[in-house]
Amino acid sequence: MQKEEIIKQINAALAKEFELDESMLTPDADFVKLGLDSLDAVDMVIVLEQMFKIDIRNNYKVGDFGTLGGLYDFVERLIKQKNA
Amino acid sequence: MSESKRVVITGAGALSPYGVGVDLLVKSLLEGKSALSVYPALKGINGINSHIAGVAPDIDFTFIPRQYRRSMTKMSLFATMAATEALKTAKLESSPKDAALYLGSTISSMEAWIGWAQKYLENHLEQVKTTAVFQVMNNSPLANVAQALGIKGAGFGVCNACATGLVNIGLAYTAIKAGLIESALCGGTDEYHPMMTGCFSMMNAASSQFNDEPAKSSRPFDKDRGGIVCSEGSGIIYIETLDNALARGADILAEIIGFACNTETKSISHPSSDSIIDCMEAALKSAKIAPKDVDMVNAHATSTLAGDEEEAKSIAKVFGPSIKVNSLKGHLGHTMAASGSLELIAISKMMLEGKMAPTLNLDNVDPACQGVDHIRTQAALNINTFVKNSFALGGTNASMIIRRYIK
Repeated sequence: MQKEEIIKQINAALAKEFELDESMLTPDADFVKLGLDSLDAVDMVIVLEQMFKIDIRNNYKVGDFGTLGGLYDFVERLIKQKNA
Repeated sequence: MSESKRVVITGAGALSPYGVGVDLLVKSLLEGKSALSVYPALKGINGINSHIAGVAPDIDFTFIPRQYRRSMTKMSLFATMAATEALKTAKLESSPKDAALYLGSTISSMEAWIGWAQKYLENHLEQVKTTAVFQVMNNSPLANVAQALGIKGAGFGVCNACATGLVNIGLAYTAIKAGLIESALCGGTDEYHPMMTGCFSMMNAASSQFNDEPAKSSRPFDKDRGGIVCSEGSGIIYIETLDNALARGADILAEIIGFACNTETKSISHPSSDSIIDCMEAALKSAKIAPKDVDMVNAHATSTLAGDEEEAKSIAKVFGPSIKVNSLKGHLGHTMAASGSLELIAISKMMLEGKMAPTLNLDNVDPACQGVDHIRTQAALNINTFVKNSFALGGTNASMIIRRYIK
């Protein structure tokens, strides 16, 4: 899957799950500034794990991503690892 | 009782199977509209013989911010809507800092529980979202409404099955009367799920004789009644000391003057006349009034064979043959935890308007339910004091006495 398609799918999922305007979903967007809290963070992981069939929880280390751009990169890496 | 401990209702909110608002509830009742319809999914479930339910229309709840809405199921959405209306009609922009909240449901959301259990059975709990926790816990409506509306006082999520709404009001009333709190939002809420009908179908207590005529399916005290029709909604009132209400210029809907609650221990499912009589007499005693001081009883009467008969006999025994009696479950079905509070609100409003809805579908009074003056047509009635009954599986009986506010 191309990075562009990953970004598109992540943005669509987050917009739906958290009722966000997709125009706010830019690579430098900070999760806290998007209005998401710790419960949302866990639910975001659940949504993305099921969508991409990846294991975020057991591969995540604190600091892996703090912005949406970081999340795009992280998910892309896990998808590549899965397909390797 | 000192003047300061008189307890009055100054706000009321309703979400009923008719839709949003107390005005719509009362208007629909007075127009004789049935809130019941065929619920198609019931037809395909083995073990359920009733195909009727009373479900609320689609409602836009997006006025509740997502951060609060995400942990709510329908029962909390309903209650937030009703509590918002109760505060508004109480002329309050928000809940006072020390106001308490007494709110419960019969069980937590079956839909949420089934979704969670399904993931458990599939061994995929990692797919369950965190917000599910706050949807299935027993105090889910209490917690969600308190969070959404910033109700910072004491919170009690009491559950007494179908008597939940009235018991929560009774507890709040008792606490205010005793001087423990100054004000409270209180009532009940429930969301419909086919499992609800299943519970009563299993006990042969769900209405099935009128599956093709939903408007006729719930018929309290009628000789052709066959059982309960389950429905959903939320009724919440704001109550406070009379002093508070007068000081801030609130409109007073009615005064609560007595309450009692007891437990039937002869049977976990069947009420008996003895315990219902004891409950109503205890309520009269707490109000320091005599049976002759009561103008009408708004019965629990769910359209079951045994329950309606026992209640009618009990009312006749305590109040005599001239007591006016109605049940609103012919219109609404049984709104479960919301029934006590929704019906209390509706009767209080109709008392003020001087009109009283009859028991819908009471075409032929069952001989076993005679001995009282059933309200069978809409009439201009001068009601000053009424009793509201609510009973529940498990044995809870509750009776509350409401009086037109007199200075």
